[in-house]
Amino acid sequence: MSGHLPPKSSVKRWLQTTNHKDIGVLYLVTALFFLVFGGVLALLMRLQLWTPGPTLFGGLAYNQAVTAHGLLMVFWFISPFGFGFANYFVPLQIGAKDLSFPRLNALSYWLYLFSGLLFGVSFFQGSTFAGGWTMYAPLNVPTFFPNEALGATTAVLALLLFVTSITVSSVNFLTSMYRERAEDLRMRDIPLFSLSINLTVWMMLFAFAALLAALVILTSDHLLGTTYFNFQVTDSGSILSGTGNEGASMLWSHLFWFFGHPEVYIVFFPALGIMAEVFQTFTGRRIVGRKWFILAMVLVALQSFVVWMHHMFLTGINLETKTVFMATTIGISLPFDLMVFALIYTMIKGKVRFKTPFLFALGALILFIIGGITGVFLGAVVLDYQFRGTYWVVAHFHYVMVGGATAMFGGLYYWYPKITGKMYNETLGKLHFAGYFVGFNLLYFPMFIAWETPRRVFDYSAGMTIWHQMATVGGFLLAASFLVMFYNLFKSYFHGEEAGDQPWKYVSSAEWAVSSPPPLDNFPGLPSYASGKLSFKDPKDVEGAHAGHGGATAADGGAAAEASATAEAETSTGTPSKIRAVTARATGGVPATAHEHESDHADHASYWPLMIAFGGFLTLLGFAGYQGGELLGLPSHLIALLQGGSVPKLPYLLLTVVGATTTMGSLVGMTRESFAAPEDAISERWPFENVEKMKLGMWTFLASDIVLFGAFIGSYLFTRVANGWQDWHHMIPEAHVSLPGLINTYLLLTSSFAVVLAMVAARRESKRGVVAALFVTFTLGIGFLVNKGLEWAHLFNLHEGAFAGGWEFSTNIASSTFYLTTGLHAAHVIIGLIVCAWLFARTMGGAYMGDEKPIEYFGLYWHLVDIVWLFLFPLFYIL
Amino acid sequence: MGIPDVALAGAGGAIRNPAEVFGEIFWVFLGLGTAVGVVVIGYTLYNSYKYREGADHETKSDVDRPELGELPSGSGGGKKLALSFSISAIIVIGLIIWTYSTLLYIEDPPDTENAIEIQVEGQQFGWVFEYPNGEQSPTLHAPADRLVWLNVTSRDVFHNFGIPELRTKTDAIPGQMSRTWFLADEPGEHTAVCYELCGSGHSRMTAPVVIHDNESFQEWYASTSPSGNQSDGEAGMDGNETAAIGPTTTTGAVAAGDSP
Repeated sequence: MSGHLPPKSSVKRWLQTTNHKDIGVLYLVTALFFLVFGGVLALLMRLQLWTPGPTLFGGLAYNQAVTAHGLLMVFWFISPFGFGFANYFVPLQIGAKDLSFPRLNALSYWLYLFSGLLFGVSFFQGSTFAGGWTMYAPLNVPTFFPNEALGATTAVLALLLFVTSITVSSVNFLTSMYRERAEDLRMRDIPLFSLSINLTVWMMLFAFAALLAALVILTSDHLLGTTYFNFQVTDSGSILSGTGNEGASMLWSHLFWFFGHPEVYIVFFPALGIMAEVFQTFTGRRIVGRKWFILAMVLVALQSFVVWMHHMFLTGINLETKTVFMATTIGISLPFDLMVFALIYTMIKGKVRFKTPFLFALGALILFIIGGITGVFLGAVVLDYQFRGTYWVVAHFHYVMVGGATAMFGGLYYWYPKITGKMYNETLGKLHFAGYFVGFNLLYFPMFIAWETPRRVFDYSAGMTIWHQMATVGGFLLAASFLVMFYNLFKSYFHGEEAGDQPWKYVSSAEWAVSSPPPLDNFPGLPSYASGKLSFKDPKDVEGAHAGHGGATAADGGAAAEASATAEAETSTGTPSKIRAVTARATGGVPATAHEHESDHADHASYWPLMIAFGGFLTLLGFAGYQGGELLGLPSHLIALLQGGSVPKLPYLLLTVVGATTTMGSLVGMTRESFAAPEDAISERWPFENVEKMKLGMWTFLASDIVLFGAFIGSYLFTRVANGWQDWHHMIPEAHVSLPGLINTYLLLTSSFAVVLAMVAARRESKRGVVAALFVTFTLGIGFLVNKGLEWAHLFNLHEGAFAGGWEFSTNIASSTFYLTTGLHAAHVIIGLIVCAWLFARTMGGAYMGDEKPIEYFGLYWHLVDIVWLFLFPLFYIL
Repeated sequence: MGIPDVALAGAGGAIRNPAEVFGEIFWVFLGLGTAVGVVVIGYTLYNSYKYREGADHETKSDVDRPELGELPSGSGGGKKLALSFSISAIIVIGLIIWTYSTLLYIEDPPDTENAIEIQVEGQQFGWVFEYPNGEQSPTLHAPADRLVWLNVTSRDVFHNFGIPELRTKTDAIPGQMSRTWFLADEPGEHTAVCYELCGSGHSRMTAPVVIHDNESFQEWYASTSPSGNQSDGEAGMDGNETAAIGPTTTTGAVAAGDSP
């Protein structure tokens, strides 16, 4: 694929672009669409709440509206909206030409779009998910769905697809921010918006992995018949016993809220970053207490992972635990106090201009103050006991979250001239703000007054009617104000005044130093802060100082890399200690011999991300049809199809097959495609100077994978304790012995060793060595799978003893946890073997001689897979 | 049989019921929160107006304005920030420490020997109350001036049981028991509500709550027919016995209290 993009007016451009600015625009526009979608649902809810009782809808329809409103706003609107700005401006602000992995960036977007479309489809499949955006168990499993609610499964799958988009994004942003900064731009020097995105992405990496685990398990309950979140009280006189998992409700609560709490900061931080930027620009002052502000953000990011049980104060957890979480919750409010004050003090001695972006940012600060104060109420456990499940909580979180969104709309007006090159109409902007701010407060403040109304309930005491009616009026006013915004931004695109490079006074970050809109490659040279200010170096001046080929050397980094870096630094024009001289060329699988002399030629187009995401959409649409634990029957259906027999659920089977083929084929296509995404010759790379781009990306991905497995193992431990640790053995057949596990352990450990040998052979340029070692790895891996297959087949087909009908996925909670956890691991093995086979084929074709890096990256993945098994084996076979 | 007419030690005010506790704390928080909010927001708006561009101010030359392309830095001002931060931290932490003592009280109220225990089971979409004598009813009957413990669970999905006017609430989770208590000052009628989305009937999942004076409660209780769990004639709630139903629920209560 060549780098030449069609013009912006052509649809084809938008389908194949990988440029971060285009993708940023795609995110912004798509997020606004979901804002309208989620907003319309909210308006329907407000109409229902005009009078007590079922004004418009019955219970099921109302619950769907409530649920979809929450899911759409939290997942499909607000974060993607923030990431639209992040995509567009983070590379500009840090001095990069693009993100580290442009095609993955496009993939993130298409996965996001298709996941949203999949969610939209769910409305038409009986009923979409109707258990609240919090999806509590056991209401979230098919046992408790209304009949024919296929859409409920589709909705869960849509969210699963969305999380893959986030994971890809996190890997991309983290790698980029640590490897693509301009010379002498230290992490602490980057603009506050980019810093806030950096922390957001760190939180995303770990929090979303926990959600991914919860969703994979939930999907497995829906499609494979496992019983993690299923619990049915049996009528045997004891209310506490039943079938399924006794700890189901609590397990979901822990997994979900461990994700859910960091999530609200993931949502808010981009807004906070925008507020910092807009305040600085429109007050003409640098932020007060910048380093404290940064420290406060870092503290919040860390603390966000230790407050989650404040969502669970009424679940019967013990007093000590409640006390700890009360303390941590209050603790997390303190850094926010500091940041609020920092913003306020920034105005002092400023030259405040009340332009639309500042109105929204100032408005956001005020709304956040109100929301934050009411949050302290919720942190006092005794008060929380009564606020639980009421509109106090609803009002609180709308003030803070939509307060954040308010700042983002400010960002939209702030950056609109930079993105489009045109200025919006200021009068209309102010009109939007007026309607917005009045509407917002009219909508949400009465909810504090009518706080006794239970959440997700449309019946309330008559005395509160006036407040609900005010809220409904406010909601419509808020919505109407957006019409002004859409009209303004649309019209200004065609008829607005030309905005120059710096439409605002006192801007300082790098995006304002280039044209509006910026050129494709962002900068008229290599950005550098070596002189203390932003300057652009001529790439040719810098080129001559570097020797080419490959990135920084292997994991043992050390001496070799340092020697070459020093040598190169001495020949360069800048101060030796400051220049990190690394030329890395990452071409995603294509031999490093290509594009050697065209270090500044970057590709910008590829159709594969779109195709991969589309395939994912089709596959999951097909999967949904197997709600009720029937996905395990798919292989036999497939065989029946090939034999020409009749096949149940044929449309779903076809969708799955076509989708999976499309995705697999597109992944191969993407790997085969030649795509250059060169890094800049000089960059600030602390602390990853010696970790080349692909390796850093792999490490980040593996960190997320570790949390995923951690959540699975944690779920197993929690569940086993909840059901009785020793009693667990009654749920496992005697035939389940440790020998197969032991054999598998040896097979995997040996295969890890073999990969190391392959890497060494590649470094020594021994093709035979690499081929032999990879072959051994592959064979041992196949051995692992075959051994496991035999073990499972044996357990499925038991004829005697306590499990005479077989011990299967859906038999009991012990079998569920065993098969799903080791099954997830086996899926990782399968993926690893596919990659191994690929490496084998390429080696046969002459690749990797002298360049062992791709094998090293595979090795890192494979070692993780083995290490995970070392935990699973004792947990599932010995204890 | 029947329930002796024991005046609750502390009836008339020595035991504060959850409603009083909540009321006190809530109004203090509301007052303080409103004051802080008004002050901070007022100060914010004041500053934004005072330092607006074009205002008559001597700030022209002594403040360094941001310039394009500069390395981001701050404006100092650390001292003022530290002061504001410390004041707000003291207020917030002070409030929480104050409420912590009430949390301890709510978790462990006095005079539980005189308390009545009632089992509450939520189900889609109503509540069932089970009394010490085994009687089951969709209405919660309780006497005024008597501490009432509720052992709450669910027959199907995750619900939440709360009586807003009595300020009592707890989750109703299938597979486990959780507890809450209330102490009604006077007879009256209230409504219990479900506070956790539980399915299509969530909005109508309510239960009537009837608080009797002591005599009429005795009458009602005497008129109920035990469903056979307890031995006839012995089932009663005299002042010295903690009434509880079967062993499973007591075990459950212990288990719920200990689970992390």
